[in-house]
Amino acid sequence: MTAAPALRVSGASFAYAQTPALTGIDFDLLAGEAIALIGPNGSGKSTLLKGILGLIKRTGGTVEVLGHDTAPAGTVGYVPQTDELDPEFPVSLEQVVMMGRYRELGWLRLPGRKDRAAVTAALDTVGLGHLAKARFGELSGGQQQRGLLARAVAGGPRLLLLDEPFNGLDQSNRDALVGTVERLKADGVAVLVSTHDLDLARAVCERVLLLNGSQVAFGPRESVLTLDNVQRTFHEVGVEMDQHTLIVPGHEGH
Amino acid sequence: MAELLGPLFSAFTLPFMARALVVLLALSLVAGIVGVLVNLRSLEFISDGLTHSVFPGIAIGFVWGGREGLFVGAMIAAILAAIVLTVITRRAVSGDAAIAIVFTAMFSVGILEVSRQTNYAGQLEQLLFGRLLTVTDAEVTQTLTICAIALLLVGLTLKQQVFRAFDRTALAAAGYRPLLLDLVLNVAIALVVVAASSAVGNLLVLAVLIVPGAVARLITVRLWVLFPLAAGFAALCAWVGLALGFEASVTAGIDLPSGATVVLVLVAGYLIVLLGRLTVDRMRRPATTEPQPEPVTV
Repeated sequence: MTAAPALRVSGASFAYAQTPALTGIDFDLLAGEAIALIGPNGSGKSTLLKGILGLIKRTGGTVEVLGHDTAPAGTVGYVPQTDELDPEFPVSLEQVVMMGRYRELGWLRLPGRKDRAAVTAALDTVGLGHLAKARFGELSGGQQQRGLLARAVAGGPRLLLLDEPFNGLDQSNRDALVGTVERLKADGVAVLVSTHDLDLARAVCERVLLLNGSQVAFGPRESVLTLDNVQRTFHEVGVEMDQHTLIVPGHEGH
Repeated sequence: MAELLGPLFSAFTLPFMARALVVLLALSLVAGIVGVLVNLRSLEFISDGLTHSVFPGIAIGFVWGGREGLFVGAMIAAILAAIVLTVITRRAVSGDAAIAIVFTAMFSVGILEVSRQTNYAGQLEQLLFGRLLTVTDAEVTQTLTICAIALLLVGLTLKQQVFRAFDRTALAAAGYRPLLLDLVLNVAIALVVVAASSAVGNLLVLAVLIVPGAVARLITVRLWVLFPLAAGFAALCAWVGLALGFEASVTAGIDLPSGATVVLVLVAGYLIVLLGRLTVDRMRRPATTEPQPEPVTV
């Protein structure tokens, strides 16, 4: 018997109020697998991630997380873009990662030795153990991104949603993130990552979903990442592509 | 030294001053903690809206049931307002405009209700500016009960409220319901407004709710220190403000309304801390050297 996919999206559409944002999304994601969501700005990548979380209204189709209509509590980790967070928020990196344990802690229990050990392990996984006490807002963008990944890891997710985690990162932070995602996959975590970065898609993702308001193509990365498909996806802005790089006007460094 | 500090203690041997102090200390504890969350979530405008929206409840309760009816009316209005507010901020296209429209309308309803009474001016003044020194034992009990409920609401959800303030989407991904947490916090804010209204008055509640949290943010960036710091600052200002108003009245014959005096001490404390913070920031800033003019070669 084949295990149910970690995520199954069938004919799904999403809308903001009465305005359709994304239509015709069909894919499934298996445990230990990663899928890259690729599309131009405003194509619906973040909408899809938030739609899977149930934060944006689904107007059609179905979304199943681990075989359930609603994601079982504590099974999904989400890593937002760091510019969505208040850099002045008075919180340390360690406290941010501890938030990943709150589901486990429940409403009343305070963090104990087991939780602190989980936070330390998560920080070590992303290579930031030495910055545990640092103020989150004073970390570099790449370190913040790794910190948010550590928060998701600390919660022990079975499905991980990453929203453009590689934007503006230097090489060492990129390498650290790629390494962490690889380790999570090896542990059976399913990963859905939105990105413009073909290197990332090739390095850690088995399959690719191209979208621009609707699904353009989905399948194994070699068959989907063709110049023709990518040009269809980015047709409004124009695009060039070589083996490593997707050159999209308005998107930095990719 | 004893002569200086004496007035800070001696005034509270009088029963009405002791009652006022108990009310303000309970209020300080809860308003400090709730106020930090208001600050972290930038809910100052919403809190202002809540003070307006609770007013018709206070007014109608006062008109129908006198002082005993005040708390009941305020509680009903507070719960309704918190629910309406939570829905508005989630659904409305322009949340701030909707809050302003709904809550100023509700404040006007309160004014209309009070204005139908013969002793209109006196009653309105009591509701708007409080009557701290005339609170009864029953009102002390009511205030402590309301403060305890508000404290329980935020205490049980404190970790999640902080998570909500930092990253709403990740909170939802973790399986929490942000709407429920928003409702809990809004009800807690509304309860603080109710508890504070009879003491410092409906118009001055906002200072009790907002200044302590703002002061704590100026002093520390350590998350879990913010809460006791805000509560402690509010309690200190309440104590000093009450004693100051009493001393001014007894020794200098100056009649200082106690609620307003406490609020002014809070604001003075804020200004002192702000000045201190600016000074520390200035001292920490690395000295900049004057740019040397480029040598000119001819």
